[in-house]
Amino acid sequence: MRMIQFRVLSVSLFVLALVVGGQALTDQQRQAAAPAMEVLPPVGKDSVRLLVIGDSGTGDRAQIETAAMMWRAHSVFPYEFAIMLGDNMYGSERPQDYARKFEQPFKPLLDAKIEFYASLGNHDDPNQMYYKPFGMGGKRFYTYQKKDARFFALDSNYMDRDQQRWLEQELSQSKSKWKMAYFHHPIYSSGGRHGSEVDLRAIVEPLFIKYGLNVVFAGHEHFYERLKPQKGIHYFTAGGSAKLRAGDIVVGALTAKGFDTDQSFMLVEIDGDAMHFQTISRRGRLIDSGTITRQNAGGTS
Amino acid sequence: MTKLCSAFLVLIAATGVACDRANTAPQNAAETAATDAKKPVAEAPGTSSSAASVAPDGQPVNPMGAATLEFQKRIEAYMKIHNEAEAKVPNLKRTDDPVEISKREQELAQMIMTMRAGAQPNEIFAKEFEPHFVKIVKDDFANRSAADRKALVHELPKQVKIDINTVYPTTLPLITFPAGLLRKLPDLPPELEYRIVGRSLLLRDVKANLIVDVLRDVVPTIPT
Repeated sequence: MRMIQFRVLSVSLFVLALVVGGQALTDQQRQAAAPAMEVLPPVGKDSVRLLVIGDSGTGDRAQIETAAMMWRAHSVFPYEFAIMLGDNMYGSERPQDYARKFEQPFKPLLDAKIEFYASLGNHDDPNQMYYKPFGMGGKRFYTYQKKDARFFALDSNYMDRDQQRWLEQELSQSKSKWKMAYFHHPIYSSGGRHGSEVDLRAIVEPLFIKYGLNVVFAGHEHFYERLKPQKGIHYFTAGGSAKLRAGDIVVGALTAKGFDTDQSFMLVEIDGDAMHFQTISRRGRLIDSGTITRQNAGGTS
Repeated sequence: MTKLCSAFLVLIAATGVACDRANTAPQNAAETAATDAKKPVAEAPGTSSSAASVAPDGQPVNPMGAATLEFQKRIEAYMKIHNEAEAKVPNLKRTDDPVEISKREQELAQMIMTMRAGAQPNEIFAKEFEPHFVKIVKDDFANRSAADRKALVHELPKQVKIDINTVYPTTLPLITFPAGLLRKLPDLPPELEYRIVGRSLLLRDVKANLIVDVLRDVVPTIPT
């Protein structure tokens, strides 16, 4: 196990250090006061490394603590960019909300020039697409390339014909080894509150299958879930990066691994034909990890 | 526009409206929209004993086609106002400053609200064709599983006061619009979208975050 164990002190001390100690603590003291962190380092040298966060925009303590853990994880797993699975901002979206619910919690990441690529959730004003730090390029849905991987950020709130046509065109033209899609609403889910978005599934799944999509990330459900592959495609739900719906996973035929007792985020590495993933809790626990081999490895892509 | 013209050609005999009428520049977009909204249209479907409506020349008209055509005309009239308003406020470019995004959204909303100061409910969701929209939504819900209906209704914002030509409440989530239902409703330009709040179907101006029109009591009541 490529696990790095940090010294364990009480979690309450960590919270106290963050909340009360604030700026007075040195980085060394913070490190000492921090709870254990079980983060696996990357495997490849020239791999694509990303952070996956969903339903993060609360501006509350849970978001701040989870974001702090994301930054700590970066010291072990230096991700280059972050994808946001929607609900980037809950409630009002005044300028001060952008600061409180995004810029401040993620300041260390922004200062380190880590790029964000957001998708829109049901709590997000579509005008977020004009906000440069969200990396959307002024579009509700968009695509971009990172080495061997092409990412498709969709707007699952409003899957109209235009978007469907665009998705089909982009998927059909992509020659990338890896095709990854992310959007807010999971088309497969074991969530007790929401469950699978079958309407959306009926439209996008045939395209995913036809054009050999490899992996899908979604949020909306405030927990982490790795689903059993569906029709050859791997699905993850990671909508618990600030909001948490404790005990909402109804373990069933879809569930490969579920975690709904604390906030979490994912670290993903694409290295050749392998995708390594790990899920880390707000308190630094390794919740889930594994490796996926590209479905069409060896075949034509 | 081409699509709209094609639709006109198909239904031209029924409606008696020349295709190029839609291309005629109005003196004032707001006035045109208001005038268009008051114009008589083909007999209201749902109010006739026969399945088809009847055009002024006595030819039968597919009521759904007529409803869609009229709806698209009204959407086009609204878009003239929207575009006129957009031309009067500063362009919104990608920015690091959320103040610019918020300011622009508010300015555009204010401009449209002023230009549509006399807007009335059903100005776009024509009253005569309301039964069609109601039927589309009700049929869609009727074909959903109980679990699906429950999940959808569970998410809908409730007990929220909404009105036309007002800003969509900024703290209210924009719940996902059921993709299957979206396929059954007439297409909208990218500047507009359908939304559901409570039992109402809304038309929302995306860039201005503005409620353009409301069709009330469309979503069926489902016991939760």
